[in-house]
Amino acid sequence: MFFHITLERNMQLHPRHFGRNLRENLIAKLMKDVEGTCSGRHGFVVAITGIENVGKGLIRDGTGFVTFPVKYRCVVFRPFKGQILEAVVTMVNKMGFFAEAGPVQIFVSNHLIPDDMEFQSGDMPNYTTSDGSVKIQKDSEVRLKLIGTRVDATEIFCIGTIKDDFLGVINDPTTA
Amino acid sequence: MTIVSDSPVHSSSSDDFASFLDAELATSTSDSSADEEGDEEENLESKRVKRRKVEVLEILEEVQDSTARVETSKEEAICAHPGSFGGMCIICGQRVAEEAGVAIAYIHKGLRLDSPELVRLRNADMKNKLNQKKLHLILDLDHTLLNSTMLFHMTSEEDYLKSNADSLQDIQNGSLFMLEHMRMMTKLRPYVRQFLKEANEMFEMHIYTMGDKPYAREMAKLLDPGDQYFNDRIISRDDGTQKHQKGLDVVLAEESAVLILDDTENAWTKHRENLILMERYHFFASSCQQFGFRCKSLSLLKSDESDTDGALASVLRVLKRVHSMYFDEDPRDAPSNRDVREFLKSVRKEILQGCRIVFSRVFPTSFPPESHQLWKMAEQLGATCLVEVDLSVTHVVANDPNTEKSRWATNETKYLVHPQWIEATYYLWQRQVEDKYPVNQSKSQ
Repeated sequence: MFFHITLERNMQLHPRHFGRNLRENLIAKLMKDVEGTCSGRHGFVVAITGIENVGKGLIRDGTGFVTFPVKYRCVVFRPFKGQILEAVVTMVNKMGFFAEAGPVQIFVSNHLIPDDMEFQSGDMPNYTTSDGSVKIQKDSEVRLKLIGTRVDATEIFCIGTIKDDFLGVINDPTTA
Repeated sequence: MTIVSDSPVHSSSSDDFASFLDAELATSTSDSSADEEGDEEENLESKRVKRRKVEVLEILEEVQDSTARVETSKEEAICAHPGSFGGMCIICGQRVAEEAGVAIAYIHKGLRLDSPELVRLRNADMKNKLNQKKLHLILDLDHTLLNSTMLFHMTSEEDYLKSNADSLQDIQNGSLFMLEHMRMMTKLRPYVRQFLKEANEMFEMHIYTMGDKPYAREMAKLLDPGDQYFNDRIISRDDGTQKHQKGLDVVLAEESAVLILDDTENAWTKHRENLILMERYHFFASSCQQFGFRCKSLSLLKSDESDTDGALASVLRVLKRVHSMYFDEDPRDAPSNRDVREFLKSVRKEILQGCRIVFSRVFPTSFPPESHQLWKMAEQLGATCLVEVDLSVTHVVANDPNTEKSRWATNETKYLVHPQWIEATYYLWQRQVEDKYPVNQSKSQ
């Protein structure tokens, strides 16, 4: 799920950035530092949308660096257990398949793929129903339900299932 | 029904419930008996029936109670956590211990499976493979399918290669590549394209190398530019479970259906029987030096292995043979009983069938001859090794034509061959012409 929230961060800035562009430099550094990172609490920071407030700088003794507390608004993405998500399949093998939704890596084990879908190996491995009407392969788009999530410093791992009503392939790359 | 659902489930109160039911039933019987003019005996009879009904109800309740308990215990036992992804169980999503099971990192980072799950996957895979008539083939890269060297290891005589490298735009038709971003030059073994193409019909192929992951991926691109052979089955040294060892524990395949091509026997100590040992392919001079050979490398001789009679071509014949034995020769035999290791052994045993070999001054005197590499090779090839000469002997293997046994062989017109004859036979899977491996003093090295 996406959220638009306000976060705070203490930014250390080198004295060479001081001057009339201090604020711009601060924001540029903030974007570089924060966008694309993950935190267990808030999830993946997609983009910074604005600066609410830059606090008073505090000079660090000995180094000359200055710490500014910066409050900023940003869009974050955090997956939740039970959430329904759409993702693109990146890899299919006999253990199940892997899918990606932005920074989120999702694994759907073959235990959680409907029993009537069977694994077919070959140069384009896939899971197919016995009548061949539904096929999951690389680049398929699937709708899945998350049953477990873990957010690391840099990555988000999820376990998903498509063994439920209205889950599974939503767009087949071969017919598109 | 409402009574049942409202009633407390635990057994201590079931007596209360029974008496409550009794009371209820009693009132209902009294109502009905009012109509029936109160026959004493009939009333008694009906009471007995009701009593029985209550008992039945109680039993029902007990059954319900126990099923409820079973269900809760099932909920706990239902997930055996057969594997994990990023520290979460792949079935229920719960956090599990990070170190449980075997890491299958070559497929995806953070994926681990425990052994019952591996067995399950291997069994499922076996069925699949039997339907497709395919087995598994594990291929080593260096010295087996190709030879690589760092650019700074190349000698000045080899510089001509740099200008003769094939274009990376047209990988399919090239065999010598310059990979500048890796500072490497790679030469594919002759016949490798044809080999992979034909082997792909019979096998699901894996790459298993002692090189690191980026190297393995890069080489896979050269061998398989169309990405049709290996898929995600590229295993590098970072993915193994033991240092300096290759193992089938990370491979999702039944051991009885796996053949391995590798030039290093010691890497596969647990799976020697699956291994087809390859003659090392040394194209670059640095590669020869690494293994302590003083001879000129193929690159310096400006030659190469034979395309159609080289090691890969002869191994492909063996692979075809084993494959057809596995799938065609005895269809009555249950597939689960078949084992490529047995077939491989029997194919190898036919090569020198009937040969009786004596070694002359090949082993150091203090060395037990049965444990020498050549002795073992000869026995695996189906030959009988003897310590002393007698008339049944067919071959004498020697480095020197002047030993007693060598002279005996010449006198008795037995084959007198160089030890290389056994090695060549072993690697090429074919009895070599003895005359090509003469023993003479000048050629003793």
